[in-house]
Amino acid sequence: MPDQVYEIPIGPIHPALKEPIRFTFKVEGERIRGVDIRPGFAHRGIEYMGMKRNLIQVLYLSERICGICSISHPITLTLAVERAAGIEVPPRAQYLRVIFAELERVHSHLLWAGVAAHELGFDTLLHLTWKVREKVLDLLEELSGNRIDYAIPIYGGVRRDITPEQVPQVEAMIRYYRGLLDELLDAFLRDPSVEARTRGVGVLAPEEADSLCAVGPTARASGLAKDVRQDRPYLVYGDLGVKAITPREWGLEPRGDVYDKAVVRLLEVGQSLDLIERCLVEMPEGEITSFPKIPALLAYLKKADGEGLGWHEAPRGEVIHYIRLEAGVEEPVVWKVKAPTYSNLMSWVPMFVDQEIADIPIIAASIDPCMCCMDRVHMVDASSEAMVQKEELLRLSRAKTERICRGGGPA
Amino acid sequence: MTVDQVKSALTRGVPGLTIEDRPRQVGVREPVTVTEVWAEIGREGLLPAVAALKASGPLHISIISGRDKGNEIELLYHFAVGYGTPGGEVMVTLRLNVPASDPTVPSICALLPGAETTEREKIEFLGIQFTGIPSTDHVFLPDGFPGHPWRKGDPETEKLVKRLVEWEGKDA
Repeated sequence: MPDQVYEIPIGPIHPALKEPIRFTFKVEGERIRGVDIRPGFAHRGIEYMGMKRNLIQVLYLSERICGICSISHPITLTLAVERAAGIEVPPRAQYLRVIFAELERVHSHLLWAGVAAHELGFDTLLHLTWKVREKVLDLLEELSGNRIDYAIPIYGGVRRDITPEQVPQVEAMIRYYRGLLDELLDAFLRDPSVEARTRGVGVLAPEEADSLCAVGPTARASGLAKDVRQDRPYLVYGDLGVKAITPREWGLEPRGDVYDKAVVRLLEVGQSLDLIERCLVEMPEGEITSFPKIPALLAYLKKADGEGLGWHEAPRGEVIHYIRLEAGVEEPVVWKVKAPTYSNLMSWVPMFVDQEIADIPIIAASIDPCMCCMDRVHMVDASSEAMVQKEELLRLSRAKTERICRGGGPA
Repeated sequence: MTVDQVKSALTRGVPGLTIEDRPRQVGVREPVTVTEVWAEIGREGLLPAVAALKASGPLHISIISGRDKGNEIELLYHFAVGYGTPGGEVMVTLRLNVPASDPTVPSICALLPGAETTEREKIEFLGIQFTGIPSTDHVFLPDGFPGHPWRKGDPETEKLVKRLVEWEGKDA
């Protein structure tokens, strides 16, 4: 009956997380019947700012689009500009970019695994994943000087090499995670209560993932073998022969639920370790940039005239940058950035429909959005008004987990 | 999916279309040629072109980018056709110029529902009108934001930037 449908706005502000967003859920009892999604609260006009700055400054800006994807955006931007301006990248630099991109994928997927565990109420698992994530962050700090915002890609190459003394540290990191991966896979994928909370929850059918143009692990969990590294080769990903990972690699038919999204991300950690290892072996000696002097680079870019597209598979999916340069103008005439969550936004709608309120946190987190703004839940009813905080929503989620662990069914 | 397949699908959809190949060498050990397909179409050619691409293989829209050229607004539809096989996906960019005085474009959402977010973004930022789009709600700008920031010399955006400069004392 229509008078039993409530509207629950969730968000937009959560001080602890990067990207605020507002969901307005239509609920009937415990069941979600529809959702309206409104992003834009973190829109900073970065593209507009970029079109007022020279390309070196744009590179710095691109690195600050996202703290977690802080290598994906500069890699994509440099690919687009190199295409527009006709700049070659030395082979060693191409391998180095891939190594950093895969290190980012390892830390990003581990971050997600921790968030997912927390949303389900398994804080021990959160602490385990985030503790082990420190290893890759320490390595990134050793290699680049920073835990995030590595300032590695530059037009024509990269800014820092991996020295022979650093190689054993990278190898040690690979060994460390290989030793842990089975334990993590066990903890997430062979745990009956994780399975009970994630199987059949937040399902995205393959037809929906295809028509809504979902990207990254969100699309792959639904069984689409859609991975930019495989489909549209760039850098040395073609040489490395990357294959899109779907739950089939884990011996399961894809169902497109939260469990499958965990399968894909955890297996991709192992895939990234393999790629880093191969890059270390295959990477040739040589120059790391074709423009060692920044003023020469800026002068060259000022003369460049053309347009270019760059693409990259970030941890969350496809990143695209389009750039248009005009001779004599330092600023790009057009700079368009597309991040993966932009493509996955619409996939949330079918994932939420007919699910329970207690599943909102894990479904929202399942696409690994650059946000999760559950601090303010506001229940609105024509006759009465009640406020529910984020803590209450988390409590509902955890109570459901506990109920399931004790053998009870869903409420 | 090969570049030739994509090109013949496009010319089937829009006969007489001029298509530009943009090849580049990719890879170090075993370099391969990755070719992008670029074509300029008219408003009436957009839906047949997208339908032809969709019929030729799995279709993905990456983004619609655009710019204000003064009298005209240029829209670039960046598609990728044929995901799922190694090296089998082709980037296709359709360039569409519409007069600034009548920026109306047919929506492609009926063919590809995933295009809705990026079409709605173009309504906000460039003032494009999409006929047949399911929703025209704002995605990124505040509800009721009066201007279109990527239009040249948009007075509302200039006001906003001026206020920011006054508050922050920096260049925007």
